[in-house]
Amino acid sequence: MQASESTGIEPSAEGSSQSESEAADTAGGTETIADARPSVDIADQASISGTETIGAPFVDNPKMSARNVNVFYGDKHAIMDVSLDVGRNEVIAMIGPSGCGKSTFLRTLNRMNDIIQTCQVRGTFELDGEDIYGAGQDTVLLRARVGMVFQKPNPFPKSIYENVAYGPRIHGLAHSKAEMDEIVEDSLRRASLFDEVKDQLDMPGTGLSGGQQQRLCIARAIAVSPEVILMDEPCSALDPIATARIEELIDELKENYTIAIVTHSMQQAARVSQRTAYFHLGKLIEVGATKDVFTMPKHELTENYITGRFG
Amino acid sequence: MSKAKSADKSAMIQASLKKRYAKERRFQWYGRLAVLTGFVFLFILIVDIVSKGTPAFTQQFIKVSVHLDRDTLDLPENPSREQLFNANYYGAIRASLRDMFPDVTSRRDKGQLYRLLSVGAEYDLRDKLIEHPQWLGETRDIWLRAHSESGSYLKGQVDTNLPESDRRVKDLQIGWLDELRAEGRTENRFNTALFTNGDSREPEMAGIKVALYGSFLTLLVTFFIAFPIGVCSAVYLEEFAPRNRITDLIEININNLAAVPSIVFGLLGLAVFINFFGLPRSAPLVGGIVLSLMTLPTIIITSRAAIQAVSPSIREAALGVGASKLQTVFHHVLPVAMPGILTGSIIGMAQALGETAPLLMIGMVAFIMDAPGGITDPATVLPVQIYLWADSPERGFTEKTSAAIMVLMAFLILMNALAVYLRRRFEIK
Repeated sequence: MQASESTGIEPSAEGSSQSESEAADTAGGTETIADARPSVDIADQASISGTETIGAPFVDNPKMSARNVNVFYGDKHAIMDVSLDVGRNEVIAMIGPSGCGKSTFLRTLNRMNDIIQTCQVRGTFELDGEDIYGAGQDTVLLRARVGMVFQKPNPFPKSIYENVAYGPRIHGLAHSKAEMDEIVEDSLRRASLFDEVKDQLDMPGTGLSGGQQQRLCIARAIAVSPEVILMDEPCSALDPIATARIEELIDELKENYTIAIVTHSMQQAARVSQRTAYFHLGKLIEVGATKDVFTMPKHELTENYITGRFG
Repeated sequence: MSKAKSADKSAMIQASLKKRYAKERRFQWYGRLAVLTGFVFLFILIVDIVSKGTPAFTQQFIKVSVHLDRDTLDLPENPSREQLFNANYYGAIRASLRDMFPDVTSRRDKGQLYRLLSVGAEYDLRDKLIEHPQWLGETRDIWLRAHSESGSYLKGQVDTNLPESDRRVKDLQIGWLDELRAEGRTENRFNTALFTNGDSREPEMAGIKVALYGSFLTLLVTFFIAFPIGVCSAVYLEEFAPRNRITDLIEININNLAAVPSIVFGLLGLAVFINFFGLPRSAPLVGGIVLSLMTLPTIIITSRAAIQAVSPSIREAALGVGASKLQTVFHHVLPVAMPGILTGSIIGMAQALGETAPLLMIGMVAFIMDAPGGITDPATVLPVQIYLWADSPERGFTEKTSAAIMVLMAFLILMNALAVYLRRRFEIK
């Protein structure tokens, strides 16, 4: 279902046909850059970027909401006045060129930026209407409710079983060995990894293949039954086959969880998400239904990005 | 044209290649030479120490027919244990030696004869008789400890070509010893006294027991102070402390502390722990505290490096499932950093084991004969014992010095082996 929607987008074909005419203005007439696709310098486009987000950043009854978010790394203003909602049981994709702040924004949602000393976060964040940066809000509890899967698969250097059991154990979610076994099996099944590893639960998690490791990390994240799962480029270190499995998995997981995924692959965003948010140099440019964003982007920058005009 | 140009370039590179490879080969030879030099020095050192020290692991014994009659021993009919303990064994041995060599008459010659045996021979005899009281009144062949000089002759270490006045072993004694040897009355045995005795004025009686116990107890104290404090400091500074002026200052000072000469720590120990707090002098407790001060910077620095080397992705993973900071550190960071921390700690401990100067300052240089029963009893340590023996002129002590160095090195190798074992054990594949 998701995959079929993505077939309408073929940025490469469109991009190359337009490139001939635009080559002259952007490259200033020099002959050396006579490639098929001229790139547009991102920095030059900073002036165009609108201060207002185009599209529909807000939804009714959101699972998480962020308002007027500003993030600073020391003096660097990494995110500028971003407001965005994450709807219930939806997959929202965040796309944008490198350094646009999409990962930083994702990490504000479970306060992972707290561990970076120079990082300052301002704005209002709510999870089911609760202020997650409020006084008395505990990061441990928050991260149990908002789980995370990272860019590089990072299983603990322990057994597969221990990897999954760790979260439930520290939170005291299992009261007996049998209950824990059940949680582990269930989590591994939901991460569609159980059949591959059921005979080697005692083996170290770091011995699995990259794709299996990432699914193990997903199993570890869902073992504590979070409400929201944040995924920070979960497939960037994986081959296409492993990526396809993770994407299938995301599709299944959205039945029970709310998922926010940061990705560099527009095809992936188109395949797995219902809504897409386009970030550009710290600003949220455009948000909308994935289908709309990819087929008829409203903002010039979004269009430039999804047609592959940025280098 | 471009073809000619590229041929030109190839020729140029070709020309420089030879030079480059020659440079590489030269460097490799420098490296080999450097390694070889190191090995040669190490080899000379080890051969020297082992060849000098090996004789100290054996002790010559002389079989003497001892008359165990009551009169000479000054014992009543049915002696109690205490009476046996205090009997005149010295006299009995002298009398027996005189009987074995009846032609020795002059006072001087008799004195030389008695010096064939160690002062400790009477204790050997005492222990034998207490063990077998039924021997009383009999004449028995008993193996008695030889004096270090006669032992030295029997081991073939004395150059008999030297004029008599330059030798500690005189011609008369050589004659007697040759006679005894011909009769099969001499024997070279493993020197258990080296490990069961404390220090002594007589080389053949001196042992490293006190120093071994002292070193062990001192290191124990050092480990139990320095390891927890060092690891805690490292974890706090690396994981919890904010980065600011104060922590920068602390870091600089820890690095400086690692470079402070060890004798300064000894002075500190003397002034603070002994004079101010009144802790006992010469005790492993104070020695351990002083050495732990010295070892702390090493442990902190290596532990911090090991903790720093743990991949941040593991921390993120743990925090991501909702582990608290403490849980993240103790469940995930420390286990991964443990091999590095242990290696650093054992390097620090090995340094402490070989340290002499600060211990001299706190009085662990005393002449101690009885092994310490606890960390507050006076003791000495192996390097200090080596220092003391190296100072003694007797031939017997020269070999004892080398033997003690061998034991110290064995101790060190054991500790390093432990480090390797622990690293393997904790290493997570």
